[in-house]
Amino acid sequence: MSGAVWSYSENESVSNEVASAAADVAKGASAEPVVLEIGAVRAGVRAPGAKLLLKGPATSDVPPEVAAEAIAKASKQLQPAAILIGATRYGREIASRLAVKLTVGCLSEVSKLSADGNALAGERNAFAGKVVAKVSCALPAIATVKVGYYAAVESAGTAVTESDVGQVNPLVKVVSREKKAAGAVDLRSAKVIVSAGRGVKKKEDLPMLEELAREMHGALGCSRPLSSDLGWLPEEHHIGLTGVTVKPDLYLALGISGQLQHTAGMKDSKVVAAVNTDKDAPIFQASDYGIVGDLYQIVPAIRKALASRR
Amino acid sequence: MRIAVCVKHAVDETELKIDSGGKPLLSGATSRMSTFDKNAVEEGLRLKAAHQGEVVIFTVGPSDSKKTMKEALAMGADKGVLVTADTTSIDTMRTASLLAAAIKKAGPFDVVLCSEGSSDTYSGQVPPMLGEMLGAAFTGYARKLEVNGQTARVERSLEDSLEVVEAPLPVVASVVSEINEPRYPTLIQIMQAGKKPLEELNGDQLQPAGAYRQASVVSMSAQQSARKHVMIEGSPDEAAAKLVEALIREGVLSK
Ligand SMILES: Cc1cc2nc3c(=O)[nH]c(=O)nc-3n(C[C@H](O)[C@H](O)[C@H](O)COP(=O)(O)OP(=O)(O)OC[C@H]3O[C@@H](n4cnc5c(N)ncnc54)[C@H](O)[C@@H]3O)c2cc1C
Ligand SMILES: Cc1cc2nc3c(=O)[nH]c(=O)nc-3n(C[C@H](O)[C@H](O)[C@H](O)COP(=O)(O)OP(=O)(O)OC[C@H]3O[C@@H](n4cnc5c(N)ncnc54)[C@H](O)[C@@H]3O)c2cc1C
Repeated sequence: MSGAVWSYSENESVSNEVASAAADVAKGASAEPVVLEIGAVRAGVRAPGAKLLLKGPATSDVPPEVAAEAIAKASKQLQPAAILIGATRYGREIASRLAVKLTVGCLSEVSKLSADGNALAGERNAFAGKVVAKVSCALPAIATVKVGYYAAVESAGTAVTESDVGQVNPLVKVVSREKKAAGAVDLRSAKVIVSAGRGVKKKEDLPMLEELAREMHGALGCSRPLSSDLGWLPEEHHIGLTGVTVKPDLYLALGISGQLQHTAGMKDSKVVAAVNTDKDAPIFQASDYGIVGDLYQIVPAIRKALASRR
Repeated sequence: MRIAVCVKHAVDETELKIDSGGKPLLSGATSRMSTFDKNAVEEGLRLKAAHQGEVVIFTVGPSDSKKTMKEALAMGADKGVLVTADTTSIDTMRTASLLAAAIKKAGPFDVVLCSEGSSDTYSGQVPPMLGEMLGAAFTGYARKLEVNGQTARVERSLEDSLEVVEAPLPVVASVVSEINEPRYPTLIQIMQAGKKPLEELNGDQLQPAGAYRQASVVSMSAQQSARKHVMIEGSPDEAAAKLVEALIREGVLSK
């Protein structure tokens, strides 16, 4: 086993988070954190130490099947102590395939990672966020790292070394890829998040909340039904167990009932405020400030109150 | 077409009790079909309706899992294979290898369906592990699935994009909840489900290949939350003004 902790994500900003996790683990394992690149080095990808470029795939836009095979080949040669992968929809596939290819255990959806003796240890939610579990796996081990927990690594990184992994021929062929509506958000770094739930009656009402978010210098997030079932916002806006984890200074939940699967993704916010017509909505249990009321009346009133202070 | 659907008997998180020491009472907790697995069963039934064939349910779990399997049979699946194992102490890879062994034994299958992640422990790892172990094409987060001849065409829902992919059969896919609206079985179907074949395999005898050290749970504790729970009253304008004031006082809102 070499003294290296590898990190990888196909998503540049997630890669920078996972690199922070790798730096933490490396410290405990007296190892080096190494950021993986596949196909080509990406300008937005930073590293606490060195980068390792896996050459073979034609570009850096690699499907999970190819990424897993490339990392597995390199891993068999170089034997890292641990491999951390961002828990995105691609990333979960990459890590799972790697676990099978390398026959090693895989922690899932973890944060607070460390190297604990000869094991990789971390914390994760279970049972819709009712429970926090400490999990561990003997090294060498793999983990999928919960998105939104770690601050992005700052340093640009040092040397790039290369490893040739050759061509990979995937079974799954990508026919097309289409961006979902609305621009990119960075909920993970937002100080204020205004979050929309099913209490919002139609898509056309979202701009009102977007305006409010802008006036609060924040970003718009949502509950899963708005992105998944209704498709009003891209999936990256959705907060919770199956979406992103956020911990802003202020989380303002508008028309969100506050089911466990949702609050699992925002419970570490500094201050939580909620507006809901139902006084018994569970979101009030997870809030510092609550208003029982109609968001269609309260939102304009908040905007007015903000404007009068300028 | 032969369709395998992997269905987990998952702890019902809404019923899970926490003891006075803050530990979850897992032994004796009630379990039910993992929420999104209903979508996987529905998709299997939809494929069967379009292509004929059969839908076989696979579950790794204690014998109490038969309750969940019968629900899937009542929805319309043809038969079930239960691999008995203590699911509280095996990791995702062991779970996947037991499923893979049972699926191979009862195979071949054209399509193997899972959900994106289980409602109790949501790892999202078992489906791609299965794909890898079965040497089949894998595609995750399907929100639309069609089979034409020997090719599956799948629309995958990713964080910021929709991806259309094609894969040769056999294919393993995980589905998201938007893919369909699961049916509710009728009373007659529920009664008939008891007569459908349900085979039991002993997990210890399905010796999965490859020794490794499993991921394990070290400890569990209840999620702590200390919030102020201040309810703000008054007319919309009054309440909004008080809220803004409070948020500024907290220092979380810049003017
Ligand atoms: C395995 C699994 C994973 C999941 N993961 C996630 C996840 O990551 N994130 C997530 O969000 N959900 C997730 N869910 C879904 C979750 O269980 C809830 O169904 C979902 O969060 C509900 O969204 P909501 O609060 O917007 O809608 P609802 O529960 O329908 O609540 C709408 C709320 O709006 C209020 N309301 C209605 N009109 C108004 C009005 N005019 N003004 C103010 N309030 C109003 C209502 O009183 C109600 O409380 C998951 C579910 C499962 C099974
Ligand atoms: C608190 C806690 C934390 C855990 N952390 C980890 C961890 O970090 N790493 C790890 O490897 N294991 C972990 N486990 C063990 C893991 O939950 C079990 O191995 C479980 O059997 C499979 O994981 P999952 O339900 O999260 O699967 P997922 O991969 O989320 O399941 C996705 C789909 O696969 C299918 N599927 C999954 N399980 C079964 C089954 N038993 N029978 C039939 N189909 C199934 C279903 O279609 C399901 O919808 C943990 C368990 C607990 C209680």
